[in-house]
Amino acid sequence: MPGTPLALEVRSVTKAFGPIVALSSVSFTLQRGEIHALVGHNGAGKSTLVKTLAGVVSPDQGEILVDGTPVTLTNARHAQAVGIAIVEQELSLVPALTVLENILLGRVGANFRSRADDRRQVQGLLTRLGLNDVRPDTMVEDLSMAERQLVEIARALSRNARILILDEPTATLGEREIERVFAGVRELASAGSSVIFVSHRLGEVLDLCSRVTVLRDGRMIASQPAAEMNRQSIVELMLGKVAERSAVERRDNKPREGLVVIDQLSVPGHVRDFGLRASGGEIIAIAGQVGSGTSEVLRALAGLMPDARGHVSIDGRPMRLGAPQRSIRAGAVFASNDRKSEGLFLHQSVARNLLATRLKTVCRGGVVNRSLSARLAQRLAGLIGFDRKRLGAAAETLSGGNQQKVFLGRCLEKESVTLLLFDEPTRGVDVGGRADIHDLIRHAASTGAGVIFASTELDEIVDLADTVVTMFAGRITRIARREDMTATDILAEMTHGEAKKAAA
Amino acid sequence: MTGVNSTTGGPAGSPATGRIAYFHFATLAVYAFVAVLAALIVFGAFATPGFLSISNLSAILTSAAFVGVIAVGSTLIMLSGSLFSISLGTTTAITAILFMFLLHYGVVVAIAGTLLAGTAIFAVQGALVGLIGANPIIVTIGAGAIQEGIIGWLSPGDITPPPGANIEFLARTIFGLPFSVYVFLGLALVLDLCMRHTRFGLEIYLLGENQPAARAAGLPVALLTTAAFAVAGFCVAVTGVLVAGFAQNVNLQVAGTYTFDAIAAILVGGSAVTGGWGSVGRTVIGALIIATVTDMLLLVGASTGMQIFVKGLIVTMVVVLLHLSRRERRSP
Repeated sequence: MPGTPLALEVRSVTKAFGPIVALSSVSFTLQRGEIHALVGHNGAGKSTLVKTLAGVVSPDQGEILVDGTPVTLTNARHAQAVGIAIVEQELSLVPALTVLENILLGRVGANFRSRADDRRQVQGLLTRLGLNDVRPDTMVEDLSMAERQLVEIARALSRNARILILDEPTATLGEREIERVFAGVRELASAGSSVIFVSHRLGEVLDLCSRVTVLRDGRMIASQPAAEMNRQSIVELMLGKVAERSAVERRDNKPREGLVVIDQLSVPGHVRDFGLRASGGEIIAIAGQVGSGTSEVLRALAGLMPDARGHVSIDGRPMRLGAPQRSIRAGAVFASNDRKSEGLFLHQSVARNLLATRLKTVCRGGVVNRSLSARLAQRLAGLIGFDRKRLGAAAETLSGGNQQKVFLGRCLEKESVTLLLFDEPTRGVDVGGRADIHDLIRHAASTGAGVIFASTELDEIVDLADTVVTMFAGRITRIARREDMTATDILAEMTHGEAKKAAA
Repeated sequence: MTGVNSTTGGPAGSPATGRIAYFHFATLAVYAFVAVLAALIVFGAFATPGFLSISNLSAILTSAAFVGVIAVGSTLIMLSGSLFSISLGTTTAITAILFMFLLHYGVVVAIAGTLLAGTAIFAVQGALVGLIGANPIIVTIGAGAIQEGIIGWLSPGDITPPPGANIEFLARTIFGLPFSVYVFLGLALVLDLCMRHTRFGLEIYLLGENQPAARAAGLPVALLTTAAFAVAGFCVAVTGVLVAGFAQNVNLQVAGTYTFDAIAAILVGGSAVTGGWGSVGRTVIGALIIATVTDMLLLVGASTGMQIFVKGLIVTMVVVLLHLSRRERRSP
């Protein structure tokens, strides 16, 4: 639509965090009344761009124009003043207050108008968003998730927002609820507001948006009308050359069939009907975006989800879910995706961290045997490629990569272990460390244990897995041998538009 | 005194930079406390008439012993990450009263029964904290009220031992020091060694350092918490027995300010309130500092209010200083 004035223009914005360039000369335009999708794989720069527009992150270079006027966004209040509002995935409504109270809550520069005026204005906003059966006095806790999302949008609008950024608004919604939110968003756009829609769900992106901007590695790769794109073409733009990567050579090991059997595993609100068979020596990737339930599958198997239900057996013996100690006794060990708060004992020595779960094996009559524990710690250090001289250092003094090695090393070389569960095994680890950790995982599998890891990173999934399980919205969308799937296929399954197609 | 961090497997004394950085603070803190203690004694010796007499030094150790036994046991609760019990004094009094009652069945039964009761009373509270994640402060406040209520209901007033009960040995002096001092130092030594060298001790440290990690790693979180409380309860009952033997006449008020004094000893010793860092040995030092200060205040004729004020001041200063230096250590 040439000639239409631009609501927002981002010109050559660059932002680096230390040596990492998050945004590299990104330009991007948003027209009035447009619904514009912003897509990109993890680390592409989406959230940095959104934070820049929200005034949370200040760009190193470049400028931002709202309605043709350059603006400086150094804090959230500036952004609000020029009419930019962000609706986050995590809702910030107070359930115990009414819709009206929530919308008025924390409003900047509210003057003391009569309650009746506020009520009328809020009612008008709700009607605009299609919330005809929601009254200003309705308690937020009585609303569905979609209605809450729309109330959140209404709140942004009540502050005169003309540019709305919706950050993964549908991640927690069911399909019908999504339709409801979309109807409200379309209504808004037709009334002249501009919307930036950040999402992993490409089906929804194509359904809702008129234009799609793709970011990759901090660069703007494409900005095209949605009508000229399809899911495949977007995935290819998101991935770049990675999409061309072919199947890797496969190790030829003799798997112990049916070592781990998982049937109808469910975690309310996260995972539905997860089923999988894993053999000894096999490395299985559970691929899915954040919030797709991959992490919860592993946590359920580790006994850390008290409301998990399902049938799991390891080596033919059934394992009851819900208590970490039971899982460990059954032979399943778990490494969380958060090594700092749920993994390492940061102020304790590396040696003690390595031995934390097997003090029993280095004790004689309950007393720690120094030479036994020293020997075991040294052997584990050798295994994970860690400098033995530093075994006495506190874990917090190590680099992220070394911390992760120590954390995973704790799970290795235990006779009783038959299933290793790694959640995001290389999160926050540099490239060199990643390769080492991948080798460690391969080594663990080569000793006959089953390995299941969850990851959002395609490179890792492609490099490491024998079998790939893709998940979307809590359900498995596909299970395939690694060589039967390209990176493009995997990403397409991870970003599935509708969960229904998945069952096939 | 940096034994808390002695590794289970690292080559002894390896000059790892990380280790030195970490140990630096711990060592300094210990030196600082030893220096404070020494300064107090020197100052006391010159400024307070009668302070350096043998009988007075023995009195300091004696007064440190009762609270000290409670404090070294309660250190396990704090190291395990469950803060502390608010009903230490109450249970001390109750076990002292129970001991007097049980003396009707002989000294051995009385001691065994009292220790068992103290252990059980605390173990139940530990199980509540460990199993259902109840807040330890609230659980122990509630448990304290229940115990006080029951005793107040059943037995009004002072209790004396039955005639003919042979408990003089509890107050006996051996080589110039009362029996209770040997019990205190002996228990402290055993617990300190346990915490450093046994699986139980090391797992308590791990639990206190990071509870979610301990849970995910499959450590028996509920069991360890229960056990930490049980040990504390055992020690509280030991003090109950010692107090009964010393006072010969017990009631609910016999343990006075023991709850605060024991917690103060742990905090002044410098163990981390949040758990995972500290040691039983530090608590011994803390108990000695508190006892020394109390003794000096007594000798100069300070009022009870003044004594409480000074102890409160010391605890607050130590906690603030430790907090600041740890924060400094963590920021880059």
